[in-house]
Amino acid sequence: MSLGNSSNAARTRRHFFGKGAYGLGIAALARLMGEEMPSGGLAEVPHFTPKAKRVVYLFQSGAPSQIDLFDHKPQLERLRGQDLPDSVRQGQRLTAMTASQTTFPIAPSMFRFQRHGESGTWISELLPHTARIADRLCVLNSVHTEAINHDPAVTFFQTGAQLAGRPSIGAWISYGLGSENRDLPGFVVMVSSGTGRNGQPLYDRLWGSGFLPTRYQGVKFRSNGDPVLFLSDPDGIDRNARRRFLDDLGRLNQFKYNDFGDPEILTRVSQYEMAFRMQASVPELTDLSNEPDSAFTLYGPDSRKPGTFAANCLLARRLLERDVRFVQLFHRGWDQHTDLPAQIRKQCADTDQASAALVTDLAQRGLLDDTLVVWGGEFGRTVYSQGKLTSDNYGRDHHPRCFSMWLAGAGIRAGTVVGETDDFSYNITKDPVHVHDLHATVLHMLGIDHEKLTFKYQGRHFRLTDVHGDVVRKAMA
Amino acid sequence: MRISRLVGLVAIGACSTGVAAVAATVQFNRDIRPIFSENCFACHGPDASKRMTALRLDIKDGTKVTLSGDRTALVPGDPNASELYARISTGDTARRMPPAAAGHDRLSDPEIELIRLWIEQGAEWQGHWAFQRPQRPEVPADRYPGWPTNPVDSFVLRKLRAERLEPSAPASRDTLIRRVSLDLTGVPPTLAEVDSFLADTSPDSYESVVDRLLSSPGYAERMAIRWLDAARYADTNGYQTDAARDMWRWRDWVIDAFAANKAFDEFTIEQIAGDMLPNPSLSQIVATGFNRNHRGNGEGGIVDAEYAVEYVVDRIDTTATVWLGLTLGCARCHDHKYDPVTQTEYYEIFAYFNNVPEKGKAFKYGNSPPFIKAPTRDQEQRLAELDAQLASLVEQRDTVLDSEARKQVHWADRLADRRSDWVDPMDLALAFPPGATGPDPSERDFDEGGFAEFGDKADFGYYDRFSATAWIRPEDANGAIISKTGHIAGEDNTQSNPGWGFYLADGRLQVNLVNRWLDDCLRVESKDPILLGDWVHVGFTYDGTRLASGLRIYVNGQSVELNVIRDEMNQEIKSKEPLRVGRGLGLDYRGRMRRLLLYERALTAREVEVLAVGRSLDEIARIAPADRNSSEAQKLREAYLNTLGPQVVTRLTARIRNLQRDRQRYLDNVPTVMVMQEMEPSRRTYRLDRGAYDAPAEEVFPGLPSALANHDPENRLGFARWLVSRDNPLTARVTANRFWQMLWGSGIVQTVEDFGAQGEWPTHPDLLDWLAVEFMDSGWDMKALVKTIVMSSAYRQSSRSRPALLERDPQNRLFARGPRLRLPAESVRDLSLAVSGLLVNTVGGRSVMPYQPAGLWSELAGGKDYPVGSGADLYRRSLYTFWKRAVPPPSMILFDSAGREACTVRSVRTNTPLQALNRMNDSSYLEASRALARRTLEESGAGWEQRLRHLFRLVMARYPSSMELEVLTAGFEHHLDRFRNDPQAAMALLGPSLEQTGGGVSDPETAALAIMASLVLNLDETITRE
Repeated sequence: MSLGNSSNAARTRRHFFGKGAYGLGIAALARLMGEEMPSGGLAEVPHFTPKAKRVVYLFQSGAPSQIDLFDHKPQLERLRGQDLPDSVRQGQRLTAMTASQTTFPIAPSMFRFQRHGESGTWISELLPHTARIADRLCVLNSVHTEAINHDPAVTFFQTGAQLAGRPSIGAWISYGLGSENRDLPGFVVMVSSGTGRNGQPLYDRLWGSGFLPTRYQGVKFRSNGDPVLFLSDPDGIDRNARRRFLDDLGRLNQFKYNDFGDPEILTRVSQYEMAFRMQASVPELTDLSNEPDSAFTLYGPDSRKPGTFAANCLLARRLLERDVRFVQLFHRGWDQHTDLPAQIRKQCADTDQASAALVTDLAQRGLLDDTLVVWGGEFGRTVYSQGKLTSDNYGRDHHPRCFSMWLAGAGIRAGTVVGETDDFSYNITKDPVHVHDLHATVLHMLGIDHEKLTFKYQGRHFRLTDVHGDVVRKAMA
Repeated sequence: MRISRLVGLVAIGACSTGVAAVAATVQFNRDIRPIFSENCFACHGPDASKRMTALRLDIKDGTKVTLSGDRTALVPGDPNASELYARISTGDTARRMPPAAAGHDRLSDPEIELIRLWIEQGAEWQGHWAFQRPQRPEVPADRYPGWPTNPVDSFVLRKLRAERLEPSAPASRDTLIRRVSLDLTGVPPTLAEVDSFLADTSPDSYESVVDRLLSSPGYAERMAIRWLDAARYADTNGYQTDAARDMWRWRDWVIDAFAANKAFDEFTIEQIAGDMLPNPSLSQIVATGFNRNHRGNGEGGIVDAEYAVEYVVDRIDTTATVWLGLTLGCARCHDHKYDPVTQTEYYEIFAYFNNVPEKGKAFKYGNSPPFIKAPTRDQEQRLAELDAQLASLVEQRDTVLDSEARKQVHWADRLADRRSDWVDPMDLALAFPPGATGPDPSERDFDEGGFAEFGDKADFGYYDRFSATAWIRPEDANGAIISKTGHIAGEDNTQSNPGWGFYLADGRLQVNLVNRWLDDCLRVESKDPILLGDWVHVGFTYDGTRLASGLRIYVNGQSVELNVIRDEMNQEIKSKEPLRVGRGLGLDYRGRMRRLLLYERALTAREVEVLAVGRSLDEIARIAPADRNSSEAQKLREAYLNTLGPQVVTRLTARIRNLQRDRQRYLDNVPTVMVMQEMEPSRRTYRLDRGAYDAPAEEVFPGLPSALANHDPENRLGFARWLVSRDNPLTARVTANRFWQMLWGSGIVQTVEDFGAQGEWPTHPDLLDWLAVEFMDSGWDMKALVKTIVMSSAYRQSSRSRPALLERDPQNRLFARGPRLRLPAESVRDLSLAVSGLLVNTVGGRSVMPYQPAGLWSELAGGKDYPVGSGADLYRRSLYTFWKRAVPPPSMILFDSAGREACTVRSVRTNTPLQALNRMNDSSYLEASRALARRTLEESGAGWEQRLRHLFRLVMARYPSSMELEVLTAGFEHHLDRFRNDPQAAMALLGPSLEQTGGGVSDPETAALAIMASLVLNLDETITRE
């Protein structure tokens, strides 16, 4: 565990510096170590040559409706209002919210679909910007999960298990690969809310490290107050004063180290030095004032408003430019049980342009070649209407049996669609992609064999993919 | 994790006697079983479904089977004749074990060599050590200057001798008192305590410090924290909305138990099954909150049965980890792969914990049943006072009534002469139509529909108690009697559309309390329909429990049998719709109605009975007393006591009823706590295929795994007693090991959570067994156990690393020096509060909300943000900080505190830049720095050096060295210069909250001293117990 880890690190340091380390100037030593030692990471990882150096995951919390966005079902219009046939439902479990509904009227999407790009990928009118990058996407129309409610489902996507307690995917990746950037955390999270609907809550544990050491947990960048908790020096302490403070702190800690020889003291000093560097690097990163107008044009007007999904996408690009390994955005508000048409319009207006802009921007900067982009929610939505179906209104309940996500960038077979569903977008008919498969694929792109990235806890070797997961070859270039 | 396995092996080699030396003493349990468990048990172990041959390496007989080619796995003394050795050492990958085809690597050379040696030495088998009952080992006779103080030292010393190592020198006295104070109470010693210890030259000076600490309230708080981690204690429900719950009465029970040094066997039995003890006390029932601390899911739409299973699973995982040090959870889906627990046995244990009258769907807000009122001592006292006052008033009234008895008869006679009636006016919110309480209430004609509206009257929430009764003569089988709702009948909506109502539905009386019509509501109806076209008295009462069982329906004054249609209330029922009589759900009532009464309380059955009396007072009075039925007599009596009797009586009645209402209100604010209860008859338990809630297989009955026990206690209480019986080989060891971890940073068995085959071999098996037996023999005395450890010479060693020792034993598994450990998260904060003088030492009570950056709650969940507390709440010890599972307090999580989602017993310490930012910049630490500066100025004499020395010592319990003082002085002068040149900066740092300090010290100086205080608080040594 972390004790083991830190003492491994300690051993390495001792080998590196020999016993003379006791006498070395400690601040100099710590700075040197910061440069010499990648922060974290396992020696045997990557297991093979990676396609991607970094990942950005645009998590659409609340579960977007695949039927209204990607999974085109034109034949449903004939069946409007008819009860969903039992042969389709196959007695599959429903959430307790609609289980007592007496009818399950089929609600075709009221949005127009068109084929886009050379690939001819079906995308609905709700996503005009995404449609323009259709040829860069691999749309997965056959993703499925096991959970039927938000909390367990989001937890499942984040950790490979429905109940809390396991490390998040970003923590696993940080644990395996470490950080490439010595001034920023390796795993950064940003959250935003849509204007369409009050979103489902999120939880700190979604980017937690579970039983992995805390240092691998995601660091949340915030749009209000300090971008990273406790980042700013208090009023009355300027940069020079803080430097002097740290120099004195280093000197006193060095006396202690000379006396006690505990390598943890060295680590502590190096962490204070990294904190000092973060105090410069994070504000520089989050300061968008030097972005050209063209950037804001690309990402849309919201990108000027801190805390929006669009602004977070722009920040994500800046993080990726700085080689932050795993960036995850959570956007809330897709849980459209009722009034779906009105809500999903707003939700798409909030996210469509910026999502597409991020892909385009990364491509223009040559970063898309080694950055994997993932877009998707925790499950899909039902073909039948929750509540009353009218000519211009319907709602949709949770649907775990099939839904859509997309991938772009490093190693992805662009301009393709993987998987098919039945006429009702209810059951998968071809190439199912389980959550574990998606996880295996993301790790694979990073050069990680998902069966080999393990951590022993409570007597068992845990993996992100439990004992499952197949890499989705069809999605790969 | 091949790498870490090898590292582990090398480490064993390095810190025991080296591989060559091991040759003399290969032990199956220590050296061989871990290799088998890690590499072989998955296919040659306990899990029957994974075994492809009869060969098992987890039990002795399993190795004796004849293999193909007439070979046997083990030929003691002859590795080369042993098939096992041939297969692990062969170069032929097709034959090699573990099989390359399944992706396994070859065993390492040292591992193969160990196995070879073991076979050569006779392949002696040992049952898994932790499943053998601990025996009191003989205490070694080794001695060393100053050693042993007690047997702990003898065992440590023997191991050191074997390793040719020497103990470290004793820690200095100031270090020692700081160490033991932090370890036993979580806060550093005061200077007075340090001085008194330094001045005390008696031989038992240290022991008196230890005794003082053990009897201080801080000891109980410190011990409680780790128990709360293990018990996954938190202040929220943990799923989705993650709303608040009240378990703090259980938390205070734990503190009380540690303070009273409750014996660990009682401590165990009460928490596991206190509710099942004969005549359990309130405290014993509160104790069972332990196994209700698990998270509870109230998310709309969840499948009830799924979570009902998860709660039981959580209880088993937690209980097994805490008491047995076993990963029983592995046997949920299949036989355990490493330890002798079958899947069936798992569900036999499941049966002990599967008999709680609970639902998988928890309440979204607050505690879920079963829970009880758990008054604090003060509250119990207040309730007793109120009860005494009530009793005395009732007695007074009885006395008056006795003396008035004759007059009462006379009074009734007079009543007969004039038209009169009585309706209880207390808490009456509506009487309809006007004049409904009088002797000749008018009828309202709803024959043609129509309704009456009353605005926002009676805007009841789901915690409110309320009732309604009326005389009705319905002409239609459907209609609303009274409602406050926007719902339309037959609309299958799932949107929030709250309200409540009392209806006729197909002739049956129905009560609805609704948030969402289908899945977030209470709905009950009378089993039998009522007759249409006749007058009937109807009513309902609701007791504010959010449960269908809190609803009653009455017909003609009698409670009737109900069908419960929905019993899942989760969100508020307050409605913006007006209160309506005669309409609701879009339905109009048709027929007549008389004397509709709406009360803001839950009427008792007796009260409804009185309201259902058809006769007016004068009519009753005209009946001969002997001919009045009991409800008529009761009505007469109530009228007398409340309104119509002599003033001396009615005044007393009013006082009694007001006091009863006060008591109820007081009781409503008494905290509750979720507890364990048993259902009668028991819920059936089935083995669940693959562990899935919807795949029950054969029925199973409560029982213990045969590898651990030879009997099956019949219920949870029996299970609890077995946990702390001498027959159980694990509990005492696991517990002693956890205490050891608390004081040394890691356990004698490092895997404190796993004493099974995959767990680590104890570094000092004899020491562990001695502690375990001693613990049991002492009557499970926790304080004695802790005292034994901290009194040892081993514990009192200096934590200085000697370079050679650091190389040899980097993790200090041999205890050749004192452990040098970063403080746990709670102490990191509590220490700053203590040394700065801000700490408020109040024990127990509701959880508090000290500073935390704004927005942390709302940015993740929307809605309400963290409401920062004020006053003393800001400065309580961290164990009282409100723990929201979805967004835990950042200063705790950053310092590796347990997440409180699930049981955590292993302590972890990381070292990150976010910790540095927290310590340097968090406003609570800034405040502590300013307070520490001010305290220094108040307490210390003149001269900056003097002050810096004092400040330093307040934190460290020692004076700074001259070199340290030089750095501090120079730093202070540097900042002083800066603040003198920039007084604004000094003002900014000190902030408006700090009052101007007197004593001729100007602001720049205070500011500079505050910076030095922050500097000292940020030192590595500050947050380390050395």
